[in-house]
Amino acid sequence: MSKVNIFRQSCKGVDDCGICKFVCPQDLFQACQEMNAAGYFPPEIKDESQCTGCRNCMVYCPDFAIWVEKTDDQPAEEDEDKNAG
Amino acid sequence: MSVSEHPLRKYTRRHITRTTTCPGCGIGTVSQAILRAIDELGLDMDDFVFVSGIGCSAWIPSPFYAADTLHTTHGRPIAFATGVKLGLPDKNVMVVSGDGDLTAIGGNHLIHAARRNVDLTVVLVNNGIYGMTGGQTAPTTPRGLTTITSPYGTMEHHFDIAPMVAAAGASFVARWTTYHPRQMTRSIKKGIQKKGFALIEAVSQCPVQYGKASKLGSAVRILEYFKENSVRIDKARAMEAEALAGKIIVGEWVDIAKAELTQEWTELRRKLREESECHKLI
Repeated sequence: MSKVNIFRQSCKGVDDCGICKFVCPQDLFQACQEMNAAGYFPPEIKDESQCTGCRNCMVYCPDFAIWVEKTDDQPAEEDEDKNAG
Repeated sequence: MSVSEHPLRKYTRRHITRTTTCPGCGIGTVSQAILRAIDELGLDMDDFVFVSGIGCSAWIPSPFYAADTLHTTHGRPIAFATGVKLGLPDKNVMVVSGDGDLTAIGGNHLIHAARRNVDLTVVLVNNGIYGMTGGQTAPTTPRGLTTITSPYGTMEHHFDIAPMVAAAGASFVARWTTYHPRQMTRSIKKGIQKKGFALIEAVSQCPVQYGKASKLGSAVRILEYFKENSVRIDKARAMEAEALAGKIIVGEWVDIAKAELTQEWTELRRKLREESECHKLI
């Protein structure tokens, strides 16, 4: 299982940004109910056991707010060229 | 085990707690792509000098990165960087700035640095509009787009930056969008390692100004647009010009080895010093 760390204070909100929600192939992100210090609603993970560890959310996040830790039994990171036009 | 901070934060200044950009701006994705490239190459931030100009994307290295950063005058980062590189040839000099800075105000510096083949890595963030000043038409704005300075749609054609710099003589030229951050990291790694002028054009979303002008609105919709309209260069070469209208061609244009200015200077200095030593002996 992958561990998705969300740094709540760095986030600029699922409603305002929402890139993590858009790039997640499993659609695991949703806005949480609790505001951070800057007034944004950071994401929370619906079901972490569904995470494939593709790290899309981490690589796309413009605010350094997500870090995905992978365990050894995870499949390789998503193919680099898969989404290239 | 959970971590208390993003591992790439070790490359950023401690007192800067969050990025300076608007929510959903692609500049942060480019910023992360640069740091990941440096991390994956195992390089030290002390070996880098980052030079930026004026504009939103000039805020990527300065004040965010924990390295030597030069935040210079509008359009001139490449001129400053050329001086830094010739003075400190052992440093990796990286210019990070936007399309308004590097192609509009500093357009001549860009093409002449490519012509001279100075060993710089230029990450040019292209959002197609003047974002910071309120959404005016830039030389990179697509034809027909209605902005605050072109209420009837811009009549001008836009700069095609990557092929332009390739034609000017750069050693390495690539273009990716913020929908391709992994490929962008790979190209930035190649650019840093390249002995010569390397340009990585990062087509990025400005959800506030470009989003308003293009009626796409949000960051996610612009990313969707990038996803649907990106064509890889190898595929594009086999396509008709009509089919490519409105498409963003992504990929690597040039990856060649050619004589580089800093090395030529170092060699000339060594030769002249040897000659003057000979004269002293006589």
